[in-house]
Amino acid sequence: MKLSITRACQWHASPLCANLQRPICYSSPKLYTPLLLRPFNYSASLSDLQKWHNWAKSLLSSVGSTFSELDNGPDSSLLSRELRWLVQDAFEEPSLFPQMGFQNNRKHVKLRVDVDALYSLWKQRIVERRPFQYIVGCEHWRDLVLSVQEGVLIPRPETELIVDLVSELVRNDERFRGGLWADLGTGSGALAIGIGRILGQGGRVVATDISPVAVAVAGFNVKRYALEDVIEVKQGSWFEPLKDVEGKLVGIVSNPPYIPSEHIPGLQAEVGLHEPKLALDGGANGMGHLLHLCEGAASMLKPGGFFAFETNGEEQCKFLVEYIENCGQNTFCNVNIVSDFTGIQRFVTGFRQ
Amino acid sequence: MAMAAQWLTKSMIYSFRLEGRLRFSFPTTAKTLEGRFILSTTRRRRLFWGSNDCQIRNSSCSSNNNKSYLELSDEELMKQCEMDTFKSSGPGGQHRNKRESAVRLKHLPTGVLAQAAEDRSQHMNRESALSRLRTLIALKVRNSVNLDEYSPPQELLQILPLKSTIRPSDIGPQIGPKNPKFALGMQALLDLIVAVEGSVSEAAKFIGLSTGALSRLILSDDALRKAVNDLRTVKGMKPLK
Repeated sequence: MKLSITRACQWHASPLCANLQRPICYSSPKLYTPLLLRPFNYSASLSDLQKWHNWAKSLLSSVGSTFSELDNGPDSSLLSRELRWLVQDAFEEPSLFPQMGFQNNRKHVKLRVDVDALYSLWKQRIVERRPFQYIVGCEHWRDLVLSVQEGVLIPRPETELIVDLVSELVRNDERFRGGLWADLGTGSGALAIGIGRILGQGGRVVATDISPVAVAVAGFNVKRYALEDVIEVKQGSWFEPLKDVEGKLVGIVSNPPYIPSEHIPGLQAEVGLHEPKLALDGGANGMGHLLHLCEGAASMLKPGGFFAFETNGEEQCKFLVEYIENCGQNTFCNVNIVSDFTGIQRFVTGFRQ
Repeated sequence: MAMAAQWLTKSMIYSFRLEGRLRFSFPTTAKTLEGRFILSTTRRRRLFWGSNDCQIRNSSCSSNNNKSYLELSDEELMKQCEMDTFKSSGPGGQHRNKRESAVRLKHLPTGVLAQAAEDRSQHMNRESALSRLRTLIALKVRNSVNLDEYSPPQELLQILPLKSTIRPSDIGPQIGPKNPKFALGMQALLDLIVAVEGSVSEAAKFIGLSTGALSRLILSDDALRKAVNDLRTVKGMKPLK
């Protein structure tokens, strides 16, 4: 967490500040508008942009496979896709850009940041290994485009599957469709929003997070998708803000921190140096929060209520299932392990008896 | 909400403008084909065939089994598919920040493969791959048609222009190439054109259109045009332009 705060401070102090919108509210954490949502207040000539693009490409080519050998980070081909996405988000006519010739070089293109910022952002990406999603301030997740910033976990593609699991229940059962759900440790609000959009009349989601930055960003995303009437974001640790709805939840989902502490130093730089430890570090064996969630689910869920938790993989899945079966005193039934799209056993799901 | 919608639409348009790729092959026949599917900046679809003879004939089944593939919902069709698992190096999940969101689907009953990699999320790539799979099944899997007792199926009637003399007036507006239901109609149309050996004027008679009107319909979708022209080339006819 310390590191990400340091990072955030550098960010504030950088000359880029001029390009960033003022915080929405002074009393809550500073929110930064994703690149894609900023107005086209800048412009540059095609020749200047071509110069920037050539520089950016040579910088990413110099990476080769260094990062991927060093810490399983991105290689040149992935970085080259990210450069294309940066152009998509920052330029008014991204399609024009890769095809431009040497004529028309004095033509101006409208931009959401100035050219200096483009240089500085791409340098941060390559030199500091700042995650691409923090550079552009958003992540594409399912059919959503979610705002993210330092201090908030970037939602992972694996987690998308939890919404599919919930969707199947919601489609077939009115109780799930119109009931109260909880997303614990919501981060950017990804799961809460994914679920909030598929619920029916009366369906609600409470999203909790201990981090004030996460609560602010999740609130921003909820508002952007006009789900304020469906999703309530509350600050607090796990079930703490949910005391008034004990035994009333029809479903609980969570992607809690599950990486064993000893693995944190070996993480790829984008994750280890820039994402909040609070959202990653699961303690000694990475299981602490997962076990706490299972225990809480027993009292928070209605009979028949559903839970789905993301884990670190096969080992944690099996540990959790065994724990539920041995210590759960028949609290849960139909406990299941679900694999992610890469074939890794990733989720544990089940129902309250 | 309006702002959100605008944001999404824009970002989706941008991702469409990126180049996508798709490969397909048909292990069910002795011949294996490979092609590429490119969504260019103009959203035009081009198909490059490895061979001109690229139809899979569904001769073994009389019950139009394959047509039902296209009638399935996304979830049902997905259940018939194998989603390629990526050889992920390492534990994934929270450990990882790499946007390798490409999706490849293999439709097990027909062996058709569809892939999408141009979108920025797993989910959107899956949707793109699924919609390409539908188009490919329509283009590649043929049903036999009995010309003596031919009556155009509902799906075909729906993609016909309103001036067709056999189009019932209560069937609703014409379904265009951008509508996901177009694939079903396209499949039935290709079945008919194959049955009349590529003759547009012959096919036009069966569906109450002039030759010119059917030509325009065929030319309105690049994939459909390509499929018809490939068939005509094999039969020694001039391609439609």
